[in-house]
Formats: sequence, structure tokens, C-alpha cells
Amino acid sequence: MSDPAIEIVDLNHTYADRPVLNGLSFTVEHGEIFGFLGHNGAGKTTTVNILTTLLRPTSGAGRVCGYDVVRDRHEVTKRIGYLPSEVRMYAHLTAQENLEFFAQLSGVTNPTKAAKETLAYLGAEDLAKRRVGSFSTGMRQRVGIAQAIIHRPAVLFLDEPTSGLDPQGVRQLRETIQQLNTDLGMTVFMNTHLLSEVSRLCTTIGVLSQGELIYRDSMSETIRRFPDETSLEDIYVRMDGSTP
Amino acid sequence: MIATLTRHQVRSLRRERTFAVFLGSFVLITVMAAILGYSSSSTIVRVYDEATRLLASSGQPAPPNPFDLKPTLALLSNMTIYVPFIGAILAALFGHSVVVEDKASGIGRIIFTRPLSRSTYLVSKLLASAVALAIVVIVGLAISAAAVFLINGTISVGDTGRLALFFALSWAYLFAFVLLGMATVLLARRRATALLIALGVWVVITFAIPQVTSGIRPVASLNPIAGPAGASEPFFRVTSNLRPLSFSEEFKTASATILQTGERQSLGATLGHVAPLLVTILLLGALCLYLVQRHDYSRSGADD
Repeated sequence: MSDPAIEIVDLNHTYADRPVLNGLSFTVEHGEIFGFLGHNGAGKTTTVNILTTLLRPTSGAGRVCGYDVVRDRHEVTKRIGYLPSEVRMYAHLTAQENLEFFAQLSGVTNPTKAAKETLAYLGAEDLAKRRVGSFSTGMRQRVGIAQAIIHRPAVLFLDEPTSGLDPQGVRQLRETIQQLNTDLGMTVFMNTHLLSEVSRLCTTIGVLSQGELIYRDSMSETIRRFPDETSLEDIYVRMDGSTP
Repeated sequence: MIATLTRHQVRSLRRERTFAVFLGSFVLITVMAAILGYSSSSTIVRVYDEATRLLASSGQPAPPNPFDLKPTLALLSNMTIYVPFIGAILAALFGHSVVVEDKASGIGRIIFTRPLSRSTYLVSKLLASAVALAIVVIVGLAISAAAVFLINGTISVGDTGRLALFFALSWAYLFAFVLLGMATVLLARRRATALLIALGVWVVITFAIPQVTSGIRPVASLNPIAGPAGASEPFFRVTSNLRPLSFSEEFKTASATILQTGERQSLGATLGHVAPLLVTILLLGALCLYLVQRHDYSRSGADD
């Protein structure tokens, strides 16, 4: 049996003596679009930071495609793509140049071709020769996704991917994520506040509250289990009593 | 990977304003030093010619041209002040710009989710900075050599070598400040604090330490070649022992020896002036490596 895409076992993290994650444990299977919900400060970004090897956990283990995020950092980083909540790139370089750089960092053999193909895949060829500094939030987001998938990672981490996007941008992003999941078989791990997007996009959700996972189930099962609630927002509020 | 990153960094620097400002300013100070050198020499020659004419009219023999007694490279003696004063502060700002974007804008968050070690990252940044700095000093060397040639009508192989050695020393001096600029970015949480620390260190090295180590001549740091530390006051007798750590003074002394505008010194003595600077470069490099290893890039972009 193959390893799950993501496996977290008794994960703890403390910032300046303040516990952020308390014995977090769950798995995400290959091919899932996992919506990771939680109020501000619940520990969502810390979890993503640990899984993307940016942060060492205080204790416990995180594994991506069977590789430990601390011991096997090199193997993990070959298999993941990451889109931070606020996409920043080298403003004085063009989109093509930025993408070539990130492709090179990921060990892609033909960075120029990969950059062109990825932009074409996302329907953003027109951005290739323009400097990123002149881009709108939506344009930056598209190039941000391009950098995250340029090496065709097995697992894609998206941290609040819809923040700052207009409704059209949100819709485009949703379609792109679905396309990546269906066409390229990428597992998607998405931190978000936007419950409407989660209900339309995710196959599974997990709810984090005060560093602990208080709920995890498939989207269809979640809707079946809460028949009295009319929206995911109602379900979420009911599950997470700490939500302000 | 190091070559890839270095190429990227050099390409980025070519398009950044900081490097253009650094290069432009260095060109300006080199041209300024040449113009001042030419101006002083032409004034001396003009006065000499006038005096010779007057002496000849009264039948008196003319003394030798004082300018002929001066070393050829004395024309550029002001460069020995400009490099530690203006060049160093520009170098610190340049070093700051090389690493600040990745840290403050959040690009570091993306970079370090790639299969890239932090030491590789830093080494490539250092190499790119070293190359960029080399371009700056080579341009300075070319301008200086051209200026000497234009003013004197010739430039000897020896003078060209001495100029090259002076600019090599300038490269080392400026590289220490590039490292300082980098280290302060990795050390401080905020970009403004990093700049303030770097400027503070520059002030201490350029003004405070020379004052203490050659305190009997409080304007020593403003002269191309500082005199020996005063030995009359007990305080300065003690602090003058710190002279090897007065990098700007040591740079000026070593430069004056190289350009033959100061007192003649043996190779060993000249290297003695430079050795503490080279050790400091190694220490600053090690400090940058340590700081980049422990820096929390998960907070990249959240600090400014």
C-alpha cells in the first residue's frame, strides 16, 4: 500500500512558549483536494509551514509522500509546490524569467520550455514577457500558481489562495485548482477562510481549532451529517465553538 | 545549482537600481579624484612655469619642477579617502539590497520550499556580489588608468600594476561592507533597523575608531594619509594599540604605500595592514552563513 500524500502524527509547535499546534494528527490521501479550515491563529499556516519544510516542528512528525519533512527535506521539496497567501516574485524580472528561475531551483531540465508550457497551460502566455512588478493581484496569482506547479509536484500547498482576488479571479482560481487535480492528479492542500469555495471545490475538509483537529471528513459526508444546516458556514460555526 | 543561482542574481542586479547607483557613484568618485588630481597638478605646473619665467627674466636658474618629484599616481590619492568614505557606505547598501528582497518581500518563503540548501543559497549570493563588486572596481581601474594616461601622456607597466593592486585592495575593503550589509539584514527583524545598524557600524569604523586610535590628530581621518597615533596622552597610548583594527586608517596606509604616495614600507608591513581586514571578511562570511541557517523564512514577508 502506498504512503498517503500527507501524514501528520502528533504534531506540536510552540511559538515563544505559546502552543500553536497540539498533537495534530491526520492524513490526506493522493488525489484529494483537502480544505483546511480554521479561524485566524488556529495554526493553519504553521501546519503548512511545517509541511513545506519552512519550519521545524517542536515535536511530532510530518510526512509528504512518505518522506519526513525534517529528515528528508530534500526529497519532500522535490515533491511539493507552494503558493503563499501573498504572491511575491522578483518585480524587475519578467514572468518568464521568474518561472525559469524557480524551474531551475526545482531541477527542471529545460526551464525555458517548462515556463512557456506552464504559462500556456494556465492560459497566461500573454504575461510571459511582462515584468511582474507591473502585474495586478490576479495576474501575480496566476504566475504564482505557475511557479508552484512548474515542476509538476505531487502535492500542492495553497495558503489562502483567494485572498485579494476579485470574484472573477476566485472563479478562475477554482477552475485552475480543479484542472490541476483532474489533469495532473495533484493532491491539493488548501488553507482557506472562504467556505463557499471549500464547498464547491474540496473533496475533504479538516477543521482546526486552537491547534487541534476537531473535524475531518469528506465533503459529501459532512453535508449528510449536518442536514439541518443550510451552508458550510453554519456547519463550521457549529463545529468550531471558538469562532468569534 | 550555485552557478544557476549566481547567474540569476547577477541578472537581477543588472536590472536593480541599487547596483546602477553603486556603479554610477563609483564612476563619479573616480572621475572626481582624477579631476582633482589633474587640477592640482596643472595649478602647480602653471605656478612653476610662471616662476621659471620670472626667474629666467632676472637671470636666475630655475629649480626643478616640483610636480616631477611627485609619484605619478599621486594624481589619484583622493581615491584612498573616497573608497572608505563613500564607497564603503554604498557597498553596505548594495549588500543590504542583495538579500533584503528575498527576506522582506516573501520570496524567501517560495525559494526555501525548493530543493535548495541555505549554504548554497548564501554562497551564490556572495559570488554574485563579488562579481558585481569586481565589475565596479574594474570600471574604476579603467577610468583611473585612462586619467593617468591622459594627464601624463603615458602610463608605465609598474603604475598600471600598482593601480590594479590598489583597486584589488579596494575590492576587499568594499566586500567587507557588502558582507556587513547582508549580515545586518539577516540579523535584524526590520529592514530599517538593518540599515541603521549597517550605517552605525560604518560610522564607527570610518570616524570613531580612527579618532580613538589616532586621537592626537582629530582630523586624521579626513587626510589621505594619517600620521602615527599620538603618544603623549596615556589614553591614546593604549588606544593606539588598536590601530590594526582601524580598518579605514589601515586601508589608507596600505593604499598610500601601493600608490607610492606615502612612506615606503616592506611587503610584509603592507600585508600587516591588510591582514585584519581579510580576517574580518572571513568572519563576516561565517556570520552570514550562520545567520542564514537559523533565519526563519516562514516569517519572510511578515516583518516589514
